[in-house]
Amino acid sequence: MKNLTKLTLLVLSVFLISNSLIGQESEELNISGVVYDENEVPLPGANIIISGTKKGVQTDFDGRYEIPAKKGSVLVFSYLGYTTQRVTIEDTSKINITLQTDISGLDQIVVIGYGSSSKKRVTASISTIRSSDIEDIPSPGLQSVMTSKISGVQITQISGKVESGIKVRIRGISTIGASQEPLYVIDGVPVINDDESINNSPINPLIGLNTSDIESIDFLKDASSAAIYGARGTNGVIIITTKQGKANKTKITFSNSTGWSEATHRKEMLNAEQYVELFTEAALNSGLTTAEIETKFDQLALGKDWRNGNVDTDWQDLALVSGNTRNINLSASGGTEKVKYYFSTSYDKTEGIIRGNELDRYTLRGKVDTDISEKTSAGFNISLSKITIDRLSNDNTFISPLQSIAQSPLTPALLDDGTANVDPLSTLYANFLGQEQTGRFVTDIWRTTLNVYGEHYFLPSFKFRSEIGYDANNQNAERFSGSLTESASINGFGIVNNTITERYILTNYFNYKKKFGENFNFSMTVGGSFEETNRKNQFATGSGFPSDNLQTISSALFTTGGSTKTKYNFLSYFARSKFDIKDTYLFNLSIRQDGSSRFGENSKTGWFPAASGAWIVSNENFLSSSYTLSKLKLRASWGVTGNAGIGNFASRDLYAATSYAQRIAITPSFIGDPNLKWERTTQVDFGLDFGLFNNTISGEFDYYEKETNDLLVNEPIPGTSGFSTVTRNVGSLSNKGIEFSLKARIITKPSFIWNTSTIFSMNKNEITDLPNGDIIDGVNIIRKGESISSFYLYEYAGVDSSNGDALFYTNTVNSNGSLDRTTTNDVANASKIIKGNPFPNYQVGFTNSMKVKDFDFQFTFQGEFGASIYNQAGRFQSGNARFFDNQTVDQLDRWQNPGDITQVPQARLEQNNGQEASTRYLQEADFIRLRNITLGYTINPEFTKRFFVQKARFYFSGLNLLTFTDYEGYDPESTADFNGNSGVRTGIANYSAPPAKTYTLGINIEF
Amino acid sequence: MKTYLKTIALLVFTLLSVNCETKLDTEPRQAISTEEALSTSENITRLLIGIYAEAAKGESYGGRIHTISELLANHTDLKWNGTFAEPQEFNIKTISTTNSFVQNFWLNSYDISNQTNIVLDKLDLFEDENIKNRNEGEAKFLRALVYFDLVRFFAKPYENGDNAQEPGVPIITDPVYKLDDVTRPSKKTIGEVYEFVINDLTDAANLLPNYNGIFATKNAALALLARVYLQQGDYERALTSANEVINTNIHSLTNEYFMAFNQNNNSSEDIFAWQYTDQDRGNNHMNDFWAGEAFGGRSGNPDIAITDDFLTIFDEPLNDRRAAFFNTTLTGGKGTFKWELSRNIPFIRIAEMYLITAESNFRLGTAVGATPLWDINEIRKRSNATTLTTVTLEDILAERNRELSFEGHKIHDIKRLKLRVGDLQYNSERLILPIPQREIDVNPNL
Repeated sequence: MKNLTKLTLLVLSVFLISNSLIGQESEELNISGVVYDENEVPLPGANIIISGTKKGVQTDFDGRYEIPAKKGSVLVFSYLGYTTQRVTIEDTSKINITLQTDISGLDQIVVIGYGSSSKKRVTASISTIRSSDIEDIPSPGLQSVMTSKISGVQITQISGKVESGIKVRIRGISTIGASQEPLYVIDGVPVINDDESINNSPINPLIGLNTSDIESIDFLKDASSAAIYGARGTNGVIIITTKQGKANKTKITFSNSTGWSEATHRKEMLNAEQYVELFTEAALNSGLTTAEIETKFDQLALGKDWRNGNVDTDWQDLALVSGNTRNINLSASGGTEKVKYYFSTSYDKTEGIIRGNELDRYTLRGKVDTDISEKTSAGFNISLSKITIDRLSNDNTFISPLQSIAQSPLTPALLDDGTANVDPLSTLYANFLGQEQTGRFVTDIWRTTLNVYGEHYFLPSFKFRSEIGYDANNQNAERFSGSLTESASINGFGIVNNTITERYILTNYFNYKKKFGENFNFSMTVGGSFEETNRKNQFATGSGFPSDNLQTISSALFTTGGSTKTKYNFLSYFARSKFDIKDTYLFNLSIRQDGSSRFGENSKTGWFPAASGAWIVSNENFLSSSYTLSKLKLRASWGVTGNAGIGNFASRDLYAATSYAQRIAITPSFIGDPNLKWERTTQVDFGLDFGLFNNTISGEFDYYEKETNDLLVNEPIPGTSGFSTVTRNVGSLSNKGIEFSLKARIITKPSFIWNTSTIFSMNKNEITDLPNGDIIDGVNIIRKGESISSFYLYEYAGVDSSNGDALFYTNTVNSNGSLDRTTTNDVANASKIIKGNPFPNYQVGFTNSMKVKDFDFQFTFQGEFGASIYNQAGRFQSGNARFFDNQTVDQLDRWQNPGDITQVPQARLEQNNGQEASTRYLQEADFIRLRNITLGYTINPEFTKRFFVQKARFYFSGLNLLTFTDYEGYDPESTADFNGNSGVRTGIANYSAPPAKTYTLGINIEF
Repeated sequence: MKTYLKTIALLVFTLLSVNCETKLDTEPRQAISTEEALSTSENITRLLIGIYAEAAKGESYGGRIHTISELLANHTDLKWNGTFAEPQEFNIKTISTTNSFVQNFWLNSYDISNQTNIVLDKLDLFEDENIKNRNEGEAKFLRALVYFDLVRFFAKPYENGDNAQEPGVPIITDPVYKLDDVTRPSKKTIGEVYEFVINDLTDAANLLPNYNGIFATKNAALALLARVYLQQGDYERALTSANEVINTNIHSLTNEYFMAFNQNNNSSEDIFAWQYTDQDRGNNHMNDFWAGEAFGGRSGNPDIAITDDFLTIFDEPLNDRRAAFFNTTLTGGKGTFKWELSRNIPFIRIAEMYLITAESNFRLGTAVGATPLWDINEIRKRSNATTLTTVTLEDILAERNRELSFEGHKIHDIKRLKLRVGDLQYNSERLILPIPQREIDVNPNL
């Protein structure tokens, strides 16, 4: 059989060659050369054909090709994902070509859920980040890879802690009471995204993912793309695909980097001298005597002479340290036509910028894809990771290192013998150094993600695929607080908490794909999936430890423990059909049915349809040869998605166990709504993709409207019922916005390449219906007609210059509907108003990448505008010395004498004067940030190849190096981590750590 | 053909693998349904025990209700050192409708009310009449307890029926099992609420046994009734109820003052106490705010410190053990020794009954049970204070203050005795807790 094929080929080629010989009219040259990519790496498998003929060859393993062609004919060089180049043959017979990445991405593959499509044929709004976009940037985590690369997606790291959770918001917030997080699908497995942190400060759910393993990240933004994930598509879907080996292209990469980091910003706090000055004045203003306040200073200083500057503790300097990052990554990939593999392993060590915060991570991935027969293929993909984190208390605890800025600068941090000063009179709050010295808090995470698939072609046009996915997240947290902590009085307190969450998902689908006639393409996918998630938790706490060195619960005098388990599942069926006419008119229809155990007896299943269409105008005759408007595609889509991110049993009336005086008891725990169902979001999207000047400039524009109905809200019910809330479907909200991205290839000379891209997005959120009125949670409010989680505060009106009283606008409603703008010094006479909200109206990103000879240079600016942040700690740290907490230096600008004009009221120790939750502590958080900047140098491959090195690159990279903002808090992106899981409480800072500013040096080597 | 078979096999596999409709019915593992929970008398008793746990929470009798009373009544006796905004609002008598302490007090009280209503609705499940009576009595005791505090805190002070028609708080007697049962009630009058409380307590006193372990007894119901009558200024009935408790001789003063506090078992003088063990650590919120570090509280000064102004109430500061019941190592105020972590919180002590009979007898000019002088001297002797030879009403009230300080009586005494808090009259609106905003928002009838 094999011989027969060979013979046929031989005959055929002889025929072809003789044919061309016969037809020879002009001079035939034997053209040869090498095709490179823009990194000067040879491209195997590139296509070279002679324009107007069917004659063509492919480059070999070294990127070489040889083709006979006539003088004057045109060679067309193409490769998937690269811009096609045409070269007219003149006299030279050697033609080396460098192909540029096609930044329009129109020929690239886009993963769409249960399949893939070429970008060209996509009718929905899907944005993609590819490994080529990110591989030259060392990235501590996924968020820095994604931030400001995709329009319409806001990615925020909650705080500067190394394990900090991330918030990803695609096209605004579409829910109040349910999860706001997108669905992450890694290689077909919807991964577990539950926060298992024991201290309310979320841990990044994707912390175990080695970003070097990522081939592409696809963002399904509109409903027509996300609807295939039905009840979990509302917040958008992020599909992460890991790398796969390529046939005949063995590649071993090694990279190593070291970085240094520090906080992006520090607050200016009072030093000892200023502290004494301000608090002496505050005490006198409150009727205390100098002697009384000096006694207090003596106590704080713990016998040190504060008058002569013997003590001046900079607590912030103790809390914020310089960090360190190290990364080693090794991968190997390759294979034959039949078996392809990818293996990688990595080690990361990150010492955070907050004292005591550290992370160690080990990852391992193995992926094999194999063709069992001509019709059947199978493969598996295993990812293992282990993460050990030295954690800190959340932002709302005294022993959080950054809360130590509340301590007085007169307080010595350490005693003379080096132990933490925990004297109750000297420290205003528990000293975090005591926790550091006699406590620990470590979380270990083991994560296993697995995917096994088999695929069989019954016919060339008909395929069946079956996948089994598995994800296990095992987290173990151990925490101990010993003799120099707040738990000293009970002889230490320890907790151990273990959680295992396991998910398996079984997916089967058929795919049919056929071309009918010349002009009609049709494809259809039909399948189903069943998914089950089990969570088990065990914990124990203990108190009464004989020694700080005996930290396990076994050593405790008193212990308590407990365990819980729960599960939920989804049963889903889906179908999608795509068809196009002449590659020009594209249509896509899909439907999914989801059933979930989470929902009420009366509505266990729901339907999620979607439809979209596109018209590639540039394929029409009247445009097909246009150089100026080289690509033009119009898109429109409509679809329905759901959000099922609520408690597992929110629809039930339930009783739970309790106890009293060691007697067993039960208590009502929930009242449920049997009609509970998913939130439904209907989204329409109109889009336009274009390319100008042969795609030198390309862009995408989208307008969307999302309307979410049946909002899952923890609706307050009369407390007189014995219950306070019930999860129900009430109310509606909408998000409307535009997204725009523009890419341009400014210079494309082989020795100088310059690409630039800009993204812009705008989103407007509005609560359109809330039948039972406002929902107020702290300083955030949800009110009809306003943006979600708007701030609801008294309006600060500055200082009465005659007496130093803080003033507020009364803002009571006059009879004519206007607000009364008179001022009062008593908030009891004032009304709260809505002022600002925590979400940006506009986001921009600006990326440039350049390549000059052996140097590469890249930078990204990120900007967000329109969000505000409320400083919950403001009343303590910028509260004109009401409490003994150290103050920000701006408080020195306090009112002192009648006639003084200032925004800081008179300092009055232990008396209220303007510390209420008001707009005084609300600030706009607009910023522009140099997100990353990278400068690399690649040694000439011709030289390194002598040492079997295909590529050797050295680089310097910086993260968050510059931030331009008027925001005075720690950072316009960092907010309180203990609100990390709350849907309503957002945009609040509370001693929240700023992100790290990191400088990295590294090397990448490819063999 | 082979392919065809394969196809069929795969199709069957597919259908099988995804045909799991029944799997959508997952059952919770940490909770049970209403039907299961309320099907047996044993479970109803367990629900009843759960109500004590609810009431003993920090939000209610585990600390905050007492703390609110003491801070509302405070002028210069206490010093607020803490950073929580909510207690500070009580201290400065400017209480916002969103104060979470107030909100949780309200919610927890009605949660208790609803659970007692469930118990009372399910009494038919009991076959043994004694057990049934005991359950009914305890439920009514607990229900009366929360309504008494609701009306005392959320409505104007009771003034001899003069304002009995003014709004009190809603009274709920129908159990809420499911969402459809939820109502939007309006307020009952102050008079109606007091009447409801007295009826429940009278029933409870009739139904409950003399001995009932740590749970409510006949004496607990009578003692609480005495408190209610005292609040109304009905000294005759207060006297009768308190005297009835004393006459059972079940309870007696402990030998030393300190023995009345920080116990893990009820002391001889506890008529009713909230139970805490190391298992329930953290529920004792009295400790959170009132104890210094030495008593398992937070580091530094106690959030609520006692000032020298308060200490002037002790006429014999050197002898009186109660004057030394403070943590004196701290400056900026002292901490009381009354509230140690994970120890019981005494709720009604026999000492209070002596004080009620003394005050009532004095006001009525009677000597039912004992003379006021005898009662007062019993209390003084126990704390090593010299006995008095004569007593005045002021002496009795001062003794009450010395004996029961920080146990949650202060604001109610100010209101019934028509005293002042600083510049504020006893009936000032600022001494009344506002109905929580969240409640007004969802219930237009309030």
